[in-house]
Amino acid sequence: MGSNNNNHHPNSVQPPPQYTPYRLIKTLTGHQSAISVVKFSNNGKLLASGSLDKTLILWNTETLTLTSRLTGHTDGVSDLAWSSDSHYICSASDDKTLRIWDARAAECIKTLRGHTDFVFCVNFSVHSNLIVSGSFDETIRVWDVKTGKANHVIRAHSLPVTSVHFNRDGSLIVSGSHDGSCKIWDAANGTCLKTLIDDKVPAVSFTKFSPNGKFILVATLDDNLKLWNYSSGKFLKMYTGHVNRAYCITPTFSVTNGKYIVSGSEDHCVYIWDLQGKNLLQKLEGHTDTVISVNCHPTENMIASAGLMNDRTIRIWVQPS
Amino acid sequence: MYKYWYVGFPELTPTLFLLNHLLLHPNVYFPSELFTHRHSRFSHLHLTTPPLLLRRFYSGAIFFLSAVIRPDIASRFYESKAEIVSLGLKEIFTTLFTGCIWFLKRHIMNAPIIDPLQGDFPEVIEEYLEHGIMKCISFNRRGTLLAAGCSDGSCIVWDFETRGIAKEFRDKDCAAAITSVCWSRNGHNILVSAADKSLTLWDVVKGDKIYRIILQQTPLQARLHPLESTLCLICPFSSAPVIVDLCTETTITLPISLSEKPAPTSKNKFSDGSAHYTPTAACFNKYGDLVYVGNSVGEILIIDYKNNQICGIVPVSGSSVIKNIVFSRDGQFLLTNSSDRTIRIYENLLKTQDSCKLVLDEDSRKDVEKLKAVGMNCLSLFREFQDAITKVHWKAPCFSGDGEWVVGGSASKGEHKIYIWDRRAGHLVKILEGPKEALMDLVWHPVHPIVVSVSLTGLVYIWAKDYTENWSAFAPDFKELEENEEYVEREDEFDLMPETEKVKESETNEEDEVDIITVEKDSSYSDSEEELCFLPADPCPDVDASVGKHTTRPDNSSPLSDDNPDYSNQIEGLENSGGEDTGGAAHLKRRRKPSEKVLEQQQAQKVIKTSQKSKASGKSLKTRSRIGSEQEEENDMNHFGDENGIDD
Repeated sequence: MGSNNNNHHPNSVQPPPQYTPYRLIKTLTGHQSAISVVKFSNNGKLLASGSLDKTLILWNTETLTLTSRLTGHTDGVSDLAWSSDSHYICSASDDKTLRIWDARAAECIKTLRGHTDFVFCVNFSVHSNLIVSGSFDETIRVWDVKTGKANHVIRAHSLPVTSVHFNRDGSLIVSGSHDGSCKIWDAANGTCLKTLIDDKVPAVSFTKFSPNGKFILVATLDDNLKLWNYSSGKFLKMYTGHVNRAYCITPTFSVTNGKYIVSGSEDHCVYIWDLQGKNLLQKLEGHTDTVISVNCHPTENMIASAGLMNDRTIRIWVQPS
Repeated sequence: MYKYWYVGFPELTPTLFLLNHLLLHPNVYFPSELFTHRHSRFSHLHLTTPPLLLRRFYSGAIFFLSAVIRPDIASRFYESKAEIVSLGLKEIFTTLFTGCIWFLKRHIMNAPIIDPLQGDFPEVIEEYLEHGIMKCISFNRRGTLLAAGCSDGSCIVWDFETRGIAKEFRDKDCAAAITSVCWSRNGHNILVSAADKSLTLWDVVKGDKIYRIILQQTPLQARLHPLESTLCLICPFSSAPVIVDLCTETTITLPISLSEKPAPTSKNKFSDGSAHYTPTAACFNKYGDLVYVGNSVGEILIIDYKNNQICGIVPVSGSSVIKNIVFSRDGQFLLTNSSDRTIRIYENLLKTQDSCKLVLDEDSRKDVEKLKAVGMNCLSLFREFQDAITKVHWKAPCFSGDGEWVVGGSASKGEHKIYIWDRRAGHLVKILEGPKEALMDLVWHPVHPIVVSVSLTGLVYIWAKDYTENWSAFAPDFKELEENEEYVEREDEFDLMPETEKVKESETNEEDEVDIITVEKDSSYSDSEEELCFLPADPCPDVDASVGKHTTRPDNSSPLSDDNPDYSNQIEGLENSGGEDTGGAAHLKRRRKPSEKVLEQQQAQKVIKTSQKSKASGKSLKTRSRIGSEQEEENDMNHFGDENGIDD
């Protein structure tokens, strides 16, 4: 490390002067069991949460109140994704199905059947004409939104798939798995283009493309969070300090005010790092169990975080202007 | 033996090696030392090399080229075989070098690809689309949507990403076959010409007719002006091309020859005598300020359609009827297809919007020689493509998206053959052979190495690269080898290294700034005009009644009930966008040729499925990291409860 970076020591909790700390503005309760995922809609008007209590809840982000509850899954919900136009939600469940919901009518439109085990992760393509899902059956499936048929079934990994994500133009899919690998697939024909990481341990618990699709954020179950340049196959940045050994915690990029990496942690906190400096900017405390999911509002400086069984709350944090 | 080579051409060494092996006929002397000073000794060797040796080398080279590298270069050798003695060694080797480099690029230096868009041309039918009898096709500017005109007068828009129907336009007044479809530049409109002489402009998103006019003549082809949304260029069946303004319905007939009297055609006279014209091909240039017309006497006329004046004439050698005239997407090259079975490529010398230079004074407008002089400055012949052996006529030739390849279909009945030429090098690179159905239309995807062809039966074939599994993609440090290699281990390969050193290596550039936001603009698309690339893909509601009962409002199980105003709007939207195909699964017209791989996968899938039941309990016991162990039991209970309901 260069000598001029001593003030950016990863463990310092000294935020640079221009950083405005986030503070809690609301705690949302509504789920009966552990919450597995929170996500803001792309227009920022709604926040959706999925839980092991088999339901999804839509929250109004302005009033921070419950608007509707989506019931239908016969088992816990592990992940959800919004379509680009914020009209639809696709949820992945342990009942081996995915469901497409109309967010405005709060109704299930379609059930995608095919996975032979728990569906663990899901995402829409940018044009929302395709859905990609990953499952405990070790496959990745690419679904046609309109017809609900699986266009590709990719036998991708040798252990459960923990995350799948389309890049910006929908040409690539990145996947991570408990088998410790992170692979990139051609979305058009389902062929493997590259294996970014190929270790047996630690398990890859989360992968995601950066907003411009040039980098991949990878979380592994050894308390590591790394930003990779997938074309060169080298990692560029490493974010540490949090605890992540057991759960598939879903970190995210925050781009609305400065560039941060935000992640939950098994020490019940939310960690915010500076993207460039890798130094910890803030640790949000308040949850009473592992923070499994965090998500950032698309336009406002707002973070939603959700906790597991002992907590069962969603906390909304904002940077006061 | 190869060390000199290594100095001069490190990249060619493996090929030379291969070459040497291939040519290692017991008697063939492969003059490898010749390469050491490749130019200086040519003349000397030419004198001293015995003719027999030369011949052997020569035939070896032909064998190598034809068998391994490039059939097209090999044919050049065959053709010139007669002149073997007069042909210089230099010539032979130069050609061989070209082949070697090409071979290298294609097979050896073809590094593992992260970018699937990279290079090459299609090889196999990847998939086919089926919906009615499709006659003509067209991609939107980005290649995300494919419009197809059908024989029943309807027009379908395919989502090329999902290969599903995104929209269907059907005019109740039109039941005649569609003759051409054309996208507007921004993708919001589609111009459709039909055999009932109608011309319709559709709003793609809304699915509404914007304009519909009836022409005097059956339009064979209709193209929209690149910039002005209501102006279109029509090539009718048996009269001169016309420019039609859809809004005002004004028509301008373009001149198709310099003289006032119709061009003296001999080939295609019509029985009624009234029509002296054969169908004339025409197209706009990139900026839409000029129209290039290919007439029946083999001339390309450059027309300033605003003044309806011929600005330049380019005579095409052979003077035969020009059947097609097409610009490449970047406007740099023009392609003509003549009835002399030749596709000609012209370089467009008018690089920018400088058509004003073409304005001539009154006198020179009538002067053929002056017009030809202007024409010389506008277009220069770049390449000619034909099949000297089969002498086929060409159908629907066009450029690839990047203009690097030229593609043309064989017009022969009962065969579906697509020829691909290298525009730059000027040779044939591939012949794609489809089923025994005549080819009707052909387009190259604007971005990807994909060709889409329409067959006489109305099916649309999608030709793509044959994706073979790239095994090195599965392991970062795996390299595919051409042949066995003896492995020599590094001196310190199995030495124990302190962990810290390894880590340091990868951390070198960790302090560099990372830009996660900026997206480079696609340089091949100039403008930022709001373009329509995708139609909203609204999921068709499941017809299965069991779905509704789980929703929040059990009393409202039918998704079509009216008491929710929001939702009924949504349904309306669905009907609009979906056209006829909202019925869902039954209308899925996407087909995939079952390849071995797919069958294999299906088989494997079945195995998994059957073994699943026995495995299920064991599987759930594995670490399911997102859920706490206290929920595990509960999940398992539900899991078993569902087993039968979900896996039918």
